Amino acid sequence: MPGALRSTVDRLDRPSAYYNSRNKRRRPDHGRDNKDGDAEVHVPVEESPEDPLKNATTLYVGNLSFYTTEEQVYELFSKCGEIKRLVMGLDRFNKTPCGFCFVEYYTHQDALDCMKYIGGTKLDERIIRTDLDPGFEEGRQYGRGKSGGQVRDEYRDDYDEGRGGLGRAIQSEREREGQRNRERDQHMEDDYGRLR
Amino acid sequence: MADHDRRQPAGGYNNRKRRYREDDDYDRRPQRRRYDAPLPVRIRKQLLGLAESPLRRWHEEVQSIAHVLADNYEDQELRTSFLDLVLQMLIEQPLKTPFVAAVVLVANSLKPDILSDLLTRVATATEEKVSVGEWRDVKLYLKFLACLQSALEGDGLFPLLEELFSRAVDLQTASSDDTIGTELVKIILLTIPYIMAAAPAQWQQKAAELMDKTDVIASEPHALQVLIDPYHAEEGTESPTANMSLIGLLQKQLQTEALNGWELSCLPRPWQMPPEEIEQQEKLDNAQKHTLPNISIPEKVVAGPRPLFPEIYFSVYVNQDIESVPPVSSIASSLIRDGLLDTINILDFNRGVTARFLIDVDCYFAPGTFVKRATPFDRLRDVEGDRSTWKPEDVAVDAVFSQIFALPAPEHKLVYYHSVLTEACKIAPAAVAPSLGRAIRYSYQNTHRLDLELCYRFLDWFTHHLSNFGFMWKWTEWVDDVNLPDMHPRKAFILGALDKEIRLSFAQRIKGTLPEPYQALIGPEKEQDTPEFKFNDDHTPFAAEGREIAALLKRKAPDEEIQPIIDRIHSAALDQAIDPLVSSTDVFMTAVCWVGSKSLSHVLACIERTKDRLLDSGAASEAARAQIITAVVSYWSAHPGVAITIIEKLLNYSIITPGAVIDWALAGDRAGPYGQALSKSWVFELVFNSVVKVTSRLRQVISSGSNETTEEEVANMRELFKNMEDALISWAQGTKDQIMDPVVSDGGEDLIKRWGERWLRVFRRRSAIEEAFLLEHKAVS
Repeated sequence: MPGALRSTVDRLDRPSAYYNSRNKRRRPDHGRDNKDGDAEVHVPVEESPEDPLKNATTLYVGNLSFYTTEEQVYELFSKCGEIKRLVMGLDRFNKTPCGFCFVEYYTHQDALDCMKYIGGTKLDERIIRTDLDPGFEEGRQYGRGKSGGQVRDEYRDDYDEGRGGLGRAIQSEREREGQRNRERDQHMEDDYGRLR
Repeated sequence: MADHDRRQPAGGYNNRKRRYREDDDYDRRPQRRRYDAPLPVRIRKQLLGLAESPLRRWHEEVQSIAHVLADNYEDQELRTSFLDLVLQMLIEQPLKTPFVAAVVLVANSLKPDILSDLLTRVATATEEKVSVGEWRDVKLYLKFLACLQSALEGDGLFPLLEELFSRAVDLQTASSDDTIGTELVKIILLTIPYIMAAAPAQWQQKAAELMDKTDVIASEPHALQVLIDPYHAEEGTESPTANMSLIGLLQKQLQTEALNGWELSCLPRPWQMPPEEIEQQEKLDNAQKHTLPNISIPEKVVAGPRPLFPEIYFSVYVNQDIESVPPVSSIASSLIRDGLLDTINILDFNRGVTARFLIDVDCYFAPGTFVKRATPFDRLRDVEGDRSTWKPEDVAVDAVFSQIFALPAPEHKLVYYHSVLTEACKIAPAAVAPSLGRAIRYSYQNTHRLDLELCYRFLDWFTHHLSNFGFMWKWTEWVDDVNLPDMHPRKAFILGALDKEIRLSFAQRIKGTLPEPYQALIGPEKEQDTPEFKFNDDHTPFAAEGREIAALLKRKAPDEEIQPIIDRIHSAALDQAIDPLVSSTDVFMTAVCWVGSKSLSHVLACIERTKDRLLDSGAASEAARAQIITAVVSYWSAHPGVAITIIEKLLNYSIITPGAVIDWALAGDRAGPYGQALSKSWVFELVFNSVVKVTSRLRQVISSGSNETTEEEVANMRELFKNMEDALISWAQGTKDQIMDPVVSDGGEDLIKRWGERWLRVFRRRSAIEEAFLLEHKAVS
């Protein structure tokens, strides 16, 4: 009886709005608007009445620093139960950490507890984000941004030291601009020289 | 009423995602009337928000809801949603129960049907919870019914309490180890004050009679209390909590309260109307009374899903020169703690809301119960007269600490309680952080007599907490302890804490947070990401073989290519008259560690590839098993956390056994000479994790009902505990050979004995609890 009622306060162990909106979309794949550019979810929701997260033991973990190590993730996430597997998210080209990972527990309960007790707390001095995930599949460990990292790190206009500074697209844009300026300055100096 | 609808002008129906809305945009929009939520939704919102406002207009809130409710009670949807919500609120937001009761009482004075419907529902729900042994829910329903005592016919709730008591007596007479009877008495004692606050005067006699009866059970120390005392007092001293059995305290507190005419000054009485509401008060006084529907208690009550233990009242704010929390002589200490603990343990699914309740604790008790929020401790001295000096933050923090320090275990994973404190600190840093600081100081000063398992929990919480707040701590105040011997409990705590901090961060960062005297505690080896490979040094025996094996492992060569090198090590070892298998195991395992040193994934992949060889080594001899552990721990000696994780995985592969880990850590001096291993927190962590692995596996097997391999596993577990007992008792009694070493006979011997005793207590308790579990499940099956 009371089990069927929604709780009087929200639960933190529910999948995120991101996950839900991804699934409603029903487009099985498409790189653009996904969560930080990774963690693709191949679950056609309407065909399967079974909730793919019902027994989920895996979590997507986001907003990590590029410098956070597996050992640090282990140390924190083990507080919710033994970790079965940890897959670090890597830059598609450099194979270096690019700020996310998948943590797999042995039990669904441990994964839920992790959502409740660890999601939204700090690791390596950053607030990390956790989301229930239907399970890791090969290929999902790579960033899906144009330059190999996560999509959110392409166009980010805030300077985030733990995630490579500015967004990469913006960085390269600025570099090009800097290059042009230098060339122009060079030009002007030459002009000056000539005038003299 | 309209006030309530507009209480949160920016909330609910606005689109919060309009982040970039410009001001002029705002102006152009026509100010239309806000959409009115349907009645049931409004009532829900108001009911859920009861008492949350610090303005404390309790009687207005209560009457407003009650009137709308009474006026529209014919609305089927409203009625259903109201009844459902009340029942749910009682067991989800128990601090609001008196306020919900007040709504119901006022509603009863307007429309008696409401209460009669509700009583039927609550009675049924209570009966269900009794039948499955959900005692906390039973307690929460009874608390509600107690608040309604003035609207109940006859003796109201008393007959039910008396019946519960008679079950308690039966259970306690049958066995002194019984914990259900203790729980029932606790429920009775916690219900009485709510009855007395709701309906003073006429129930004094009844209450006195009931308390006369409970006295026998409540005042007798429970057989299990010694086992779960948070303190492990040194010989010749008494534990600070020796007389702090919760029901024992409750009994005394209630007797004191009875002598003072049941003042119960901390309890809110939102059903009492202010003088200007005399009309409503009269209606309330003359409202219709109802017979409490029968709630039958089965002859044989059950323990329910959670194991029950007697409870001990624990506080980190005892012995202060000014009372910042209610003293144990006051019923307020038990009632406030009870409300907070229920809230904390029920709302584990939203730590933010839990933390909010903790910060708002003063909203849910009588005015004047606490000092103003965020009053600094030093200013408590300035509080005048007999006004309260209880700090709401201290009371809240104390409640969470009582869970972190609860034996055998709190209801949820420890990390939940960490997260609640983190959230509370985030909501009100200026108020909560100083309270936490004093809690930390108290725990630190008492590490020597806290139970060792709790010391470890404290360490784990402390470092995790710091990691959420920039690793800021006033280390300067402990500088004097830096020069203590490493085995001193406080020094051991410091060393353990620094290691744990580094694990969550990195050495350089942590060094940057420490005053000068601590710098030496973090050596250069801790700043090195990849430890040296000892076989790179030609002076190390088998250096060439070590490098060759490493090279082969690196290029993932097949095992056949490795075997010849192993054979070379074996024959060389035989020539030198050393154990060949131990030598080759050391070389191989060390090489695996080095090749995998880049990250845990690397080493785990390497173990996966070489597991057959490792399995053979591990199976070959006890010495080889020990050598596997030695190799891992010595390679990662600067980062024991990594070693612990690797060993955990080796256990999963059954390459080593839990017995080998325990033997390695406790029997010889491999984890530290002369018993120093016992003072190292990472050794405790390693052993504790290994034991928990065994016990939780066994519990899983037993709970799943398959009893094929159980007998053998039970025997294995018992042997494990037996071996620990044997290893530890010789440390505790000082009969271990190593302890006799002259180097440590400068008083260090007593330190080691004490560490031995503390370890022994922890694992004897674990063993006893597992035996109890086995017994219970044998009884069931």
